[in-house]
Amino acid sequence: MLHKFRYVNPGDRSELLDLLAENGSSAKLLAGGTDLLVNIRGGVQRPQLLIDVKKVKGFQGISWSVTDGLVIRPGVTINELLRDATVRDKFSLLAECAHDLASYQVRNRATVIGNIVNASPCSDMAPGLLCLGARVVISSKRGERELPLAEFFTGVKKTVLASDEILERLVVPAAAVGARGSYRKLKRIQGHDLGIIGVALMKKDGLISLGISSSAPTPVLVTGLHEGDAEEVLVAASRKATSPISDVRCSKEYREFMIGTFVKRLNREVK
Amino acid sequence: MRVKLSVNGSVYEREVEEHFTLLRFLREELGFTGAKEGCGAGECGACTVFLDGKTVNSCMVLAVEADGSEVETIEGQALNGSLSDIQAAFDRHHAVQCGYCTGGMVLSVKELLKRIPKPTVPQIKEGIEGNFCRCTGYQQIIEAVLDVSGQAESAGKGELKHA
Repeated sequence: MLHKFRYVNPGDRSELLDLLAENGSSAKLLAGGTDLLVNIRGGVQRPQLLIDVKKVKGFQGISWSVTDGLVIRPGVTINELLRDATVRDKFSLLAECAHDLASYQVRNRATVIGNIVNASPCSDMAPGLLCLGARVVISSKRGERELPLAEFFTGVKKTVLASDEILERLVVPAAAVGARGSYRKLKRIQGHDLGIIGVALMKKDGLISLGISSSAPTPVLVTGLHEGDAEEVLVAASRKATSPISDVRCSKEYREFMIGTFVKRLNREVK
Repeated sequence: MRVKLSVNGSVYEREVEEHFTLLRFLREELGFTGAKEGCGAGECGACTVFLDGKTVNSCMVLAVEADGSEVETIEGQALNGSLSDIQAAFDRHHAVQCGYCTGGMVLSVKELLKRIPKPTVPQIKEGIEGNFCRCTGYQQIIEAVLDVSGQAESAGKGELKHA
């Protein structure tokens, strides 16, 4: 059972930004609802107003151009991303991350941007997007600002977003085209499950990036590694960047061990 | 808030509380009790329905979000008293035990077969990963899907080869 709240679905961007400015701290943005409605049901969040972003003009779809890169808007679901020809062709790492997220029904509803703004340490989309150098465009009535995704997360379920702001676009720069990468997620079962850990590894222009989830208060990005670096160097860098904890799913030591194992496996697999 | 939506081809217009889920609306306001609440958190799939042609967990959709949409539930599968092909295959293979998951399971299979007409066993397992069955152990369900997709020779008689 959900507590009583109001619901609005603005049709244009300025109306949405007005609503956020007026109601900010007592409102929550609703996209797929696959995290928000579960949190409301569990009493974790008690917003007075839900602002649905799905009908806002211009908030739908994925676009691609060499000048603007891959642009993902708030209405884009995980399955929409998976079906996108550009994503499959040029950003297969993103498709791998998306494919590992929850179940088919959830992917029909859950959004890419929702998976980022929820800022769960176990986000499946963050590892790939971090490796690819994604940027976020944040809007409010006060204006627009852009920053690297790596600077977006500030803690467990915490981001730089102010209460009147929305993450309006996720941008994967065209410079990331040609990167080779892969994502591995460790789960308790083969079916859909939260990750025990998740590791994305990407190689491009002689450099290696790692995106790691479920291993620190936020998803983390590791850069400054090179193709040809010894496995021990990659593992040490992943160890230094993460601080896993023990919880219901497994122990800290197992997480540490498996991060290293996945980094080594991915380094061998990604040619 | 006033919502107007179609369920299994019939149009309904109702006043609905904004905090009602689509599942609650279907069950309590419209009487479509085929969709069940299992976990209420998108894990079990017992509440699966089609929303504008896509399967969703109706426990995680608000009724107001479905305004103007076409909903299809398990009640819309049998026509004139005849089971759908998928339902009939579930019947033949005894893929139903307590039945709580079956409605959602049948709809997820329908979605899977629209995408992949002849799925392999791993593809079937992935297609129904969002639907938990605590009775059958899934084997009979997988056999029913192989059968209804014209792969009866692979379905066997309870001797499914695991992939």
